[in-house]
Amino acid sequence: MTGAPRAAGLVPGAASGPVPRAAAAAPGTANLAPRAWLVWSLAAVTVALSTDNPVYRGLVALAALNVLIAWLPSGRRVRPFAMMLLIAAGIAALINMLAGHAGADVMIRLPNGWPLVGGALTLESLAFGGALGLGLVAALLSVAPLSLVLEPHDVVDAMPASLERTGIAVATSLNLVSGFGRTFTEVRDAQRMRGWRPRGLRSWNEVLVPVFLTAIEDSVLLAEAMEARGFGGGRRTGYARPSWSRTDVAVLVGALGSVAVFVGIRVAGAPVDWYPYPTLYLPPVDPALVFGCLALAIPALASPGRGR
Amino acid sequence: MTRGLGRLPAVLVVAAVALAAVALAALAPGSPLALPCTAAGTHRAAVVVEHSSGSVVTRCVAFSTATVTGEELLNLSGVAWSGATFGGFGDAVCALDSEPVNYSTCPGKDNYWAVFVSRSAGPWQLANVGISSLTLGNGDAEGFRYVPATGTPAAPPSAAGVCPGAAAPTPFRSVGNSAQTQPPATATLPASVLSSSVSTTVGGTLAPAATTLVDAGAGNAATAGNSLPPRAPAPSDGADPGLLLAAGAGGGLAGLALLRLLIRRRAGP
Repeated sequence: MTGAPRAAGLVPGAASGPVPRAAAAAPGTANLAPRAWLVWSLAAVTVALSTDNPVYRGLVALAALNVLIAWLPSGRRVRPFAMMLLIAAGIAALINMLAGHAGADVMIRLPNGWPLVGGALTLESLAFGGALGLGLVAALLSVAPLSLVLEPHDVVDAMPASLERTGIAVATSLNLVSGFGRTFTEVRDAQRMRGWRPRGLRSWNEVLVPVFLTAIEDSVLLAEAMEARGFGGGRRTGYARPSWSRTDVAVLVGALGSVAVFVGIRVAGAPVDWYPYPTLYLPPVDPALVFGCLALAIPALASPGRGR
Repeated sequence: MTRGLGRLPAVLVVAAVALAAVALAALAPGSPLALPCTAAGTHRAAVVVEHSSGSVVTRCVAFSTATVTGEELLNLSGVAWSGATFGGFGDAVCALDSEPVNYSTCPGKDNYWAVFVSRSAGPWQLANVGISSLTLGNGDAEGFRYVPATGTPAAPPSAAGVCPGAAAPTPFRSVGNSAQTQPPATATLPASVLSSSVSTTVGGTLAPAATTLVDAGAGNAATAGNSLPPRAPAPSDGADPGLLLAAGAGGGLAGLALLRLLIRRRAGP
């Protein structure tokens, strides 16, 4: 075996041998094919970022939220992620409102002498900022299953063979983020038990330095473990290949269909975007594109453990 | 039903072929999504530019394709302009006919070029997309007015009379109007420009005498308008069925998400 171990641990064997069917997914883990997840995720991000229209972006965000809630393993909380999304969207709207001064409907006027933010703050800038934030939310919700639902080895499985090493790097990076957060909490709690209390920026050195040192140590250990398992020595192999079910096909068709509808209607010249300047107006909505967005919610209809 | 991963490429190929077939069928002649194609001929559209000083420049531009973008029309008119691209919005006009002479921000903080469109001699409607995203056909008009950055922008003078007999390929005919000064170098205008004028008259119809001609052309243009590609809808007061559908779909998805969250909370960790 070369490459990262699968979920069951060290997996010897050659890829050319007989390939048994995949074992049943463990309770609480994803049982959609990793490549179906990847295609769905890419399609949702493509749709969300290919239009400025907040209606389509909102629908993609809601579809992705449903999928995430349906497939999120028990024990993982949604609230911290939701808070992060709300903060990101709010910041995007605020920045656009403060920095963009175009638009007919002035809400408030700041002194022109103030750098960057000086001038009229308009309803149109706020609305467009909200649409930008909604796009950010939709895009983050679309890729969230890759880190919150899939295991790192699933992400690697989802990559084409030529991108195997890239997949391993991405999976390792995703692991590093959550590991970094865990280490931070542990170190901070340990320091508090020793009597440490935050007093200004300098006092955080006592937390951040051990966190960084632990992260470096973890990285070195991971690198040694991967080296010991023959990473880089050849193609990644496994006991079983992920199977492909009707649910996976439905997800794939829904995702590709959604992208095809958006591309087709854009090629046909219909208005897909929305730009609220100089005066605010309701976004144009094409029913076909609404159904295209709804097709992205197909994975939410299949709960974990069904459909295989 | 479980299939091996080895069958996946076949499934993908079938799906791709099916999608391609659907896309081609959608773009086939007669399909609602098909791009229109009218018979080749000379079509005309007007360009009206109103400066902050009140002076008005008009051009009647001829083109052979069924439709042109607002940017192409402006280029064909020969009126000098410069712009900037804003993603899905398209190209915005930053300076037009030497106003402003210099600019550092686009759109300007104090003034900007508001873009209007008139369909088939209809009233001006504010364009909410860039000129590169605008589509104009025979009998349409594109208007520009340099307006303050705040407040609802006022429309330029009517384009009636700028292009007489827009649908019928008639010989060149200059449309004159009262109190106008001919452009300084008419001979250097592009060949596509059938008529041009510069007026210091602000507001109102530029050439009432030519209204009949424009109306005659507008009738033809309205007929052709049915086959024109979809355009950015103007703000309307009526309920948009697409928007209602989206609201229903969004409400359903939001309700489903809430329900799942409640079930998840009740089930506990």
